[in-house]
Amino acid sequence: MSALFRIMALWRPQAGWMVAGVVLSLAALLAALLLMTQAGFTVGAAALGGALVAPVGAAVALRSLGALRIVLRYGERMATHDALFRALAALRVWFFRGLAARAAGGLGFRRAGDVLSRLVGDIEALDILYIRILVPLAGAALLLPVLAWVIGAVDVALAVVVVVLFALAAFGLPLLAARISWRESGRIAGAFAGLRIACLDTLAGLREVRAFGAEGRMLATVQGREAGLLAAQHSLATRAALAGAAAFLAGQAALLAVLVFALGQGNAALVAVAFLVVAAFEAVAILPRVGAGHAARAAGRVLEVADGPLPQAAMPPAPMPAGSAIRFDGVYFAWAADRPKVLDGLTLDIPQGSRVALLGPSGAGKSTLAALLLKVARPQEGRILLGGTDIAALGDDAVRARCAWLSQATHLFSDTIRANLALGLPPGATADDSRLWAALEAARLAEVVRALPQGLDTWLGEGGLGLSGGQGRRLALARALLSDAPILVLDEPCAGLDAATEREFFQALNEGAAGRTVLLIAHRLTGAERLDRIWRLSAGRAVAAAG
Amino acid sequence: MDDSDPRPPPQGAAPHAPAGPWLRLRLRAARREAVPAAAFGLLGIVAAIGQAVCAARALQLALDGAGMGEAVGPLLGFAGLALLRAGLGVLFERAGFDAGAASRRRLRSEALGAMLAAGPALLRRHHSAELATVVVDRVEALEGLFARWLPAAMLALAGPVLVVLVVLWVDPIAAAILAAVGLLVPAAMGLAGLGAAAAARRQFTAMTRLQARFVDRVRGIATIVLAGHAEAEAQALGRAAHELRRRTLKVLSLAFLSSAAMDLAFAVGIVVLALRYAAGLADGSLVRPGDALLVLLLVPEFFAPLRGFAAAYQDRSHAGPAAEALAALPEPPPAPPALPVRNVAARGVAVAFEDVCLTWDASRGRALDGVSFRVPAGETLILTGPSGSGKSSVLEILLGFVRPESGRVTLNGADIATLVPAAQARLVAWIGQRPVLFASSIRDNIRFARPEASDAEVEEAARFARLDPVLATLPQGLDTPVGEGGYGLSGGQAQRVAIARAFLKNAPLLLLDEPTAHLDPATEAEVLDGLRRLALGRTVVLASHAAAAHAFSGRRLDLRDGRVQLGRGVA
Repeated sequence: MSALFRIMALWRPQAGWMVAGVVLSLAALLAALLLMTQAGFTVGAAALGGALVAPVGAAVALRSLGALRIVLRYGERMATHDALFRALAALRVWFFRGLAARAAGGLGFRRAGDVLSRLVGDIEALDILYIRILVPLAGAALLLPVLAWVIGAVDVALAVVVVVLFALAAFGLPLLAARISWRESGRIAGAFAGLRIACLDTLAGLREVRAFGAEGRMLATVQGREAGLLAAQHSLATRAALAGAAAFLAGQAALLAVLVFALGQGNAALVAVAFLVVAAFEAVAILPRVGAGHAARAAGRVLEVADGPLPQAAMPPAPMPAGSAIRFDGVYFAWAADRPKVLDGLTLDIPQGSRVALLGPSGAGKSTLAALLLKVARPQEGRILLGGTDIAALGDDAVRARCAWLSQATHLFSDTIRANLALGLPPGATADDSRLWAALEAARLAEVVRALPQGLDTWLGEGGLGLSGGQGRRLALARALLSDAPILVLDEPCAGLDAATEREFFQALNEGAAGRTVLLIAHRLTGAERLDRIWRLSAGRAVAAAG
Repeated sequence: MDDSDPRPPPQGAAPHAPAGPWLRLRLRAARREAVPAAAFGLLGIVAAIGQAVCAARALQLALDGAGMGEAVGPLLGFAGLALLRAGLGVLFERAGFDAGAASRRRLRSEALGAMLAAGPALLRRHHSAELATVVVDRVEALEGLFARWLPAAMLALAGPVLVVLVVLWVDPIAAAILAAVGLLVPAAMGLAGLGAAAAARRQFTAMTRLQARFVDRVRGIATIVLAGHAEAEAQALGRAAHELRRRTLKVLSLAFLSSAAMDLAFAVGIVVLALRYAAGLADGSLVRPGDALLVLLLVPEFFAPLRGFAAAYQDRSHAGPAAEALAALPEPPPAPPALPVRNVAARGVAVAFEDVCLTWDASRGRALDGVSFRVPAGETLILTGPSGSGKSSVLEILLGFVRPESGRVTLNGADIATLVPAAQARLVAWIGQRPVLFASSIRDNIRFARPEASDAEVEEAARFARLDPVLATLPQGLDTPVGEGGYGLSGGQAQRVAIARAFLKNAPLLLLDEPTAHLDPATEAEVLDGLRRLALGRTVVLASHAAAAHAFSGRRLDLRDGRVQLGRGVA
């Protein structure tokens, strides 16, 4: 639960708005209670002969309470939603900043898109925290003394009974439900992962499945995993329903206590109390079923990623060297202490302006080389020199400004072509259209974009234009060429593209990247690349290959 | 990316259009499953009415100054009905869950079945992770629609009608008042200028857009960080969120009017009825205060199903994008022609292509353009040519991943168009560039080829593929988990698992698609050795542009741009 408090602490700047929402919500709740109570009281009093309140006064009170309730409810909805949106924005921006600062840990660099999307799901799970947990809890905290005071004025023993039952329904049972959902949501997450893996296996292995005629078997496996998930969810749903039923019964017991007490009293106020109890328990009925445990788990996962210790930056960074020659000098690297070394004393020279290919089978550590050069990871031993200076002494952003990176993981955003290209410029900088077109021209994409009715302002991605795989990769190339970076790091830039498209890409690269250092990382060459040196990565070292 | 304007994508104006008919069909199918939940809900309302009767009676007795003794009946009734209602509540939720579970089960099998039927050709257009998201997450997002919205929609009319009928029996004028304020709800919504539906959808669409932008930026975080734009993008994200907040609140300020309409109806109902009864009781025209209390106690019950329906409306909104993704799945291909299943001799398969044409993508021209060749049983055909020349397409036709547009492909003289897929799969074993290892043990991965194989047969296959030296280094030998979350096998080791699979399957036709393309030379030689031993006595079609081609002897066929190059015949 401490994770939830940490998340709430993030909302301190929005606290004013959130409190305003809570206050309005409490006012609306009181108006609703008074309306019900007054209605019961009016009828009860009238039944006893109308001695207590004149009908005219009752009419005025009821009408104004009814109107007040509507206005306050409206205000509450607006205020709480305004606060919710503020909290939601704050949470997302905070998460994005935290993730960006820690992206150096490798997350997001190694194709972790799905993990990230799931984290986004966790953030969404936190949206319920304010409107569905905090606001009703505040209401419950207000109702408890109100009940004690109002009913206590009639009878202390009755007040004690009602208050205890109310505390059970508003605090005890929700806490129990939260514990259950905390425990069960761990099981459900495990079942989800199992189902996801079975689906991924089946779909990634569609060729194997078809070749071995295993469609029925795979479908059965997925159905089996799904049955496990449904069983886990069923168990949680049943327990949540039981907690809800228990809270309901607490409310009914309180009402029963009022009825029993009322007998023999002949008091109109007790009718009002009965109506008050009904309304009070209804106001907190949502609490046992909000799934606070689930939110707490989500908060834990989010904090783990975006709130961990920050990698230390070199202080202060050394001045950037003039040259851009690269030298890997006896570099050792493993992604984790218990994983095998991927680079084992690698030494490699990449002179400024040269075009170098680094070949090797998948898993040989080729991408690691790019990660080290871009300071996404740091070598355990050895040095990487940029223009003669160890990059460990240079600022991260300064090094990255020198190296434009393009891989199969390079992301094209759901945004305009212009905005996608602008990512190649320094932050805040703008380029006139002629520069953008020149970059598109160099990447051999200008013709395609010119043919679009909205040109550079065409929206890409979901609901927008679907670029083909090759066009997308060339747009990423245009983005890289738009930057002034003297070094281009291309990590399997054509993975997943067919041969003809691959050739077109390299033809564009050969001309577009003239004058820059090119480091091409691939498992094989197509013959279309123009290169000065070819190295092969073998047993964690670079070996000269023919070429 | 500094663009703070969360502009809607231009073509995204009518995102719900294609999913409509799809969803209606599924909802109709699921209606029957929602009936138990709706029935429990309705019984719950009946019990609630009973409780109100008991409570009103007890309160009347209390007002009359009666003692405990006279009120035992109503009090016991109240308590008993409370227990019943609690039980019905649990049953209502469980039945809702069951309805949602049944629908998810059906939709998941439907989606995955469609993908399996479409086969590997699907992977040319979609990434497997994206497809898995549809099967897992998109289907999951439909839970609320079937578990909560559908029963709530059934109760939204039946519940209030039931309450009004009871009130009608007690006090016809009060029933008329309730019915009038009940009708006020949709009428006021109409007056507010929007149905609750449209407003909720607009709010949801706006939320979805922010969420989509956020997911997009988070997925591309490496690109943003490496471009040095992290802070600029964080600020843009914040601006977009606040802009969205301003706009959404404008929409909500209208949308909440429809919620206010419900509040208004409730308040009018309570106030009008309370004043009517107060006046009636005061001037003596009404003699039974119990009836008045009963009607007042029934007012919340009258509105409860309407509230439940409004609350479940967000489940309906959530269904939109999910239904869209599911509706976009390919229709299952037409069932194979109802010809009698051809029995092709299992031993020794001869393969022939006669003037076969195939197009993957019309803009790229034909992948195969009039390809013809014959491979007698037990012989080897080596397909050579640069990438993209059509080698893989030949193999994919033989595997049944795709059907040729024209021409005939025969196995032992039988046209493969007349073979059911299962029969065709029995004839061929296939080894591609990178075998997919499933998240399971190595033993299960080999047994995948033939589930009924004994342990001894699996071990023999592992020995044949020379996996023993690999297994000796692994902690649990054949039972070592591999695949997602398991031990990572190297490319050469994975290829040996594929060889073991093919050996275990023992099919007469062996198809090899660049089986050593991703291996270094030393590993390649070892794998080729295994493949040659596997090829003995089988008909083999090998596609390769590399050294692998020289390791096999047989007829060579050089492909260029989907055509057979002449003059480079038998080697």
